[in-house]
Amino acid sequence: MPSLSEDMKRTVMIFISSTIVFSTLAYVTVTPRPREQFFQIYVLGETGKAERYYPNNNPNIPVGQVVRWYVGTTNFMGSVQYVVVRLKLGNSTINAPDEANYIPSPAPALMEFRRVLMNNETWEFPLIWAIREISAVGDVINPTVFEINGIRVRNNQVGALRGHNFRIFFELWTLSSQDEQLIFGWGVGQERKVAWLQIWFNATGPVAR
Amino acid sequence: MSLTGIMVLGALAVSCTIPSASTFGGSSEATDRANVEFARAIAAVREAEEAGAQEDQLRVLIEKLNSAVWMIDRAERLLLQGDIIEAAAQADRSVEISKGVAMEALKLRDEASQRTYYGKTLTFGMVPVASLLVTVGSYLGWKWWRRREIDRMMRMEIKGLKESEEGI
Repeated sequence: MPSLSEDMKRTVMIFISSTIVFSTLAYVTVTPRPREQFFQIYVLGETGKAERYYPNNNPNIPVGQVVRWYVGTTNFMGSVQYVVVRLKLGNSTINAPDEANYIPSPAPALMEFRRVLMNNETWEFPLIWAIREISAVGDVINPTVFEINGIRVRNNQVGALRGHNFRIFFELWTLSSQDEQLIFGWGVGQERKVAWLQIWFNATGPVAR
Repeated sequence: MSLTGIMVLGALAVSCTIPSASTFGGSSEATDRANVEFARAIAAVREAEEAGAQEDQLRVLIEKLNSAVWMIDRAERLLLQGDIIEAAAQADRSVEISKGVAMEALKLRDEASQRTYYGKTLTFGMVPVASLLVTVGSYLGWKWWRRREIDRMMRMEIKGLKESEEGI
């Protein structure tokens, strides 16, 4: 076999090298970069800031007192997501969501808000609520009717001693892309993450007769 | 504009102002079916997105899906209030929208897949072309530089020797 001339060897080497370089560039161009996937959830006070969560900064909410919050969530998952913000009424003894085991709070749900979000989209909505009726059995006060965004919701399960230390949980649920079921939190590959918030208040107003 | 189109636009206008809210307990065959169709539509939109569909095209589908969510919520609320007929009607409208979205998403996915395929083919197809251009350029450049160097060497004079000869 005739040996290649020096020029030919050099030309072949340049061709092979540039092919490797350009193939790498092409691969990097067509392959999306991996990014961290997560959701953000927040609750703001009546001013739209992280302040004034209660009227007159008083956490004692009497019957009929309207409370205004803003709830928001942002999708940083890199894809379209269906999110559900679930509101639950708890007291000091009901368990909060378990982040380690991804278990939602066993507190009864009052209402849920649903939306399909695009990647990087923020969804913020006002949450205007009031206690419309409460009942008292001994020292235990039970807010029996809430009005949330104009919708009346009944609660017969959660009471608190002297109406102190109620809390509203905000749990973020998403539609799993694997089994098309709503799950608490979200999944990233084999990993699971959750996000939730809570705001405490006292229902100490006059009992409706 | 068709009746369905008008209904969709109307629902969109409402869903932009009121967040979808649901109380619990309202469920029927119609709302269950609406939820199933909705989940299918979401899956189809996700497929279109993975295939590389453009953001503005996806946004139109997402708005329609949100109107379907709003209708499901409304159907569930109506069920709680005992208005079964209107609840079923809302759920049926939601099913219609979800099915429409799923069909559009499939079309979008196919288009996006084809576009992505052509894009990738073109990108990788350019690799040998670019390599060839670089190789030919390098080869010609090398030849030119070599010839220039040879010419330069050929024009060289032995100045040092001349000076020493003059000195003698």
